[in-house]
Amino acid sequence: MVTMGLLLALSFVVSLLALAFLIWAISNKQVAPDQHDARVIFEPGDEGHVDSGETATSRPYHFDTVRSGIDAVSTRPVAVLLIAATVWLVIGSVFGLVASLKLHWPDWLSDHAALTFGRVRTLHLNLVIYGWLSQVGIAAMIWVLPRIFHTPLRAPRLPLIGAALWNAAVLLGAIAIANGWTDGEEWLEIPWQLDLVLALAGVFFMVPLIKTTLARQVHHIYVTGWYFLAGILWFPCLFVIANLPYVHSGVEEATVNWWFAHNVLGLWLTPIGVGTAYYFIPKIIGKPVFSYAVSLIGFWGLALFYSQVGIHHLIGGPVPTWVATLSVVHSVMMFIPVIAVAINQHITVGQNLWALKESLPLRFIAFGALMYTMASFQGSIEALRSVNSVTHFTHYTVGHAHLGAYAFVTITMFGAVYHMLPRMTGRVFRWPALINAHFWLVVIGFAIYFFGLSIGGWLQGLAMLDGTRPFSESVILTKPYLEARSVGGALMTLGHLVFAFNVASILLPQRVPESVRTVPAE
Amino acid sequence: MTADRRPQRDPRHPDEHFEPYELDASIPWPLLGIAVALGVWGAATLFDTRRHEERAQVERIEDTRLATGQAVEPGHALFEASCATCHQSNGLGIRRAVPPLAGSPFVQHGPELVANIMLRGIDGPIRVNDALYDGHMPSFASVFTDVEVAELASYVAARWGENDRVLEAAEAAELRGRVSDLGSFRGGAGVAEDTGLALGDQPPFASGTLQPVAPEISALIFEGRGGQWSCASCHGDLGQGRENTPRLAGLPADYIRKQLHDFAAGRRLNESMAVVVAELTDEEKQALGAYYSGLRVPSNARPDLGGDLERGEQLAREGDWSLTVPSCFSCHGPSGFGVAPEFPPLAAQHAAYTASQLAAWAGGQRTNSSLDLMEHISSALSAADRRSVADYLASLPPVPAGTGDTLAAQGEDR
Repeated sequence: MVTMGLLLALSFVVSLLALAFLIWAISNKQVAPDQHDARVIFEPGDEGHVDSGETATSRPYHFDTVRSGIDAVSTRPVAVLLIAATVWLVIGSVFGLVASLKLHWPDWLSDHAALTFGRVRTLHLNLVIYGWLSQVGIAAMIWVLPRIFHTPLRAPRLPLIGAALWNAAVLLGAIAIANGWTDGEEWLEIPWQLDLVLALAGVFFMVPLIKTTLARQVHHIYVTGWYFLAGILWFPCLFVIANLPYVHSGVEEATVNWWFAHNVLGLWLTPIGVGTAYYFIPKIIGKPVFSYAVSLIGFWGLALFYSQVGIHHLIGGPVPTWVATLSVVHSVMMFIPVIAVAINQHITVGQNLWALKESLPLRFIAFGALMYTMASFQGSIEALRSVNSVTHFTHYTVGHAHLGAYAFVTITMFGAVYHMLPRMTGRVFRWPALINAHFWLVVIGFAIYFFGLSIGGWLQGLAMLDGTRPFSESVILTKPYLEARSVGGALMTLGHLVFAFNVASILLPQRVPESVRTVPAE
Repeated sequence: MTADRRPQRDPRHPDEHFEPYELDASIPWPLLGIAVALGVWGAATLFDTRRHEERAQVERIEDTRLATGQAVEPGHALFEASCATCHQSNGLGIRRAVPPLAGSPFVQHGPELVANIMLRGIDGPIRVNDALYDGHMPSFASVFTDVEVAELASYVAARWGENDRVLEAAEAAELRGRVSDLGSFRGGAGVAEDTGLALGDQPPFASGTLQPVAPEISALIFEGRGGQWSCASCHGDLGQGRENTPRLAGLPADYIRKQLHDFAAGRRLNESMAVVVAELTDEEKQALGAYYSGLRVPSNARPDLGGDLERGEQLAREGDWSLTVPSCFSCHGPSGFGVAPEFPPLAAQHAAYTASQLAAWAGGQRTNSSLDLMEHISSALSAADRRSVADYLASLPPVPAGTGDTLAAQGEDR
């Protein structure tokens, strides 16, 4: 008998086989990265007359981004995006902290509608996703893609226009949310009229990156490029489809909602974070990553499996069982690409632990990459029905979301920013100890936050499942864990203030004399 | 931290112009192994969803059969499940408590009247042959489909009334539409009056439901007082309750008074009720009990917890001695209609409320049952059993049967 289960299983097997074939074909028949690609930008005659002391570009896999003028072009848009992102990070964290405090001080700041929990929490989410993470991600793309393509950023003024539009839309969206005007769906709260502006701003970011890609001077695209290019292709599709007004309704609306909300993590923030880590880890250490074939598995596994993951938020909801089951299976299949990325990144770091001592940015990025592995493993397990029935509707889920969006992506991006800023400005960080302080503040703060919510959330889930205990007990027992969350959140917010200070201190003109070749913070 | 602190000639030291690239290492075999294993698991799990689908198909077919009247079970099984608990399997009833069906002139009039009484219920004195009964026939309108009403009525009329006319489902539907607003029959006299049939000498009907309500009590019920909100704000204008808020209509007056006392004394823990009962005097508790015990309201409870109704029926009718759980009906009366004042009616109580009370006994938030009976029973039941039995009880008809219109009138008459 032909059933939905049979069809699903067949199509699943077919797509797995197709993926395996694709990876096999690329890794065996396509051109493997070689010396030739790395040197493509230089005509045979050129290679000789580079800086005589540092014969960098005459060696394979070496390329001087400063001398080729690439960094100089990227600096302005990257700086603008970084400043804006940092401002939103600080504001967004403050809202997050306020929301956290309100969970155990329920009467605090409850006199104005704009300061009630429902709006403050929503502001936190939208500001850190659209204000901070998206902008710092685009900044990293604008910095890295020209470097790996060996060509300056094309149309470098467009991102400035994009940044102006994007920030205006985020600001107006925040004001709208604070005043109670939202689309009424989690992660999609910004009114669709303002989403139009965000989408338009996105075009101003995409066009220069696509033009730069088309003008690239290398044949082989390094793995970071796959993630970044896929991200700027996937996210606009997700964003536009999910925000279409008057199209989605009822159960289908909820399905689209969670398809979008989870894909923002997996198909936008994850490409940003993984792509960034893939570039900066070998860059800082000076060693290649482990395997081209493994990175293929990591990328194509994400592309194939992630898009169906979000519906596990609707387990037990009125969606067809097979939709939720498909999502559970895809969630668990995410083990494959995650292990692949882990092999490539952690082996490179693990064989060069000395670099962690020397480089503060690497410390952030390696920690973030490790958290990608952790968050993904946890997410795959959390999607199983047996686990989900405990953790759903609890603070455990909130802890998991922060493990992904914060410990992985945000901390990775901190490292990237600390690596980029000295190269953008040609200056050193005046107080490297503050970078160290920032690292430990956010790591310790996050540890308190995560373990508090995970333990508290799990106990809360067990209490809610136990019919012999009143519901109020499941709420009351979370109180000490919520207080721990606020302590952790306060440390993280303090860390963000230190980060903002560090960014400001290097961007503002300095009077101290600078040595030309210092490579700060490493 | 800065270049100054770094050993300048460290051969490991990365140089600024290094470009990240990938080595050509092959895929490690554990990764391939994990990928293949997960792929097999995923395909198997997806293939397995066909079980859910097949189950849903079976349910759909059953629903369709019921809806289109193709169910082939005779009325016998339904009679045993729903009628025999009072009227007995042999249709002889219980002397002085439940009227017989065998030889009853009501049954001899045929399936229409049987169906009519099943749908409306009887609330008032009734004479069957030479015996008088205090009639408490519940209304089964909320319990049976038209097909079931037709089957049962035909079965009863044929077996005990020797009337071979077969009532069709369409006729039962038409009858249901005709009597849906009439409320229960007012005793045997009401049946004779409403149908115009010859039923012998019937005792006169004296309304027990329209007793006067003092204005202060009415204000308590419908408006609240000071910091106390009104009873009706949660339990509904008719005391019909909803989800986790119990149906009060028709509960014994003394039972209600005792529960109000127990809320005040902390033997039942509920934050809303603790506030409400704090200021009530004993007289007010008594008056509230009297008011709600007189209400006649059709059932709005449904089995909506997803419990296993067959298991629930087993627990309610037979108990489960492997768990040392006696049947519900052994104390709460046949069909869970209640034995005043200690054992409240369970029939037509909201499933969410019943299940939450069983959980509260098991969890120690409710400690007011006689001889700790319910504490023991609830603790022995699994969560699934609690849902099953609550769902089954919610599917039973209320007793006494309801008359919605008189009730609404009384509510507005405060």
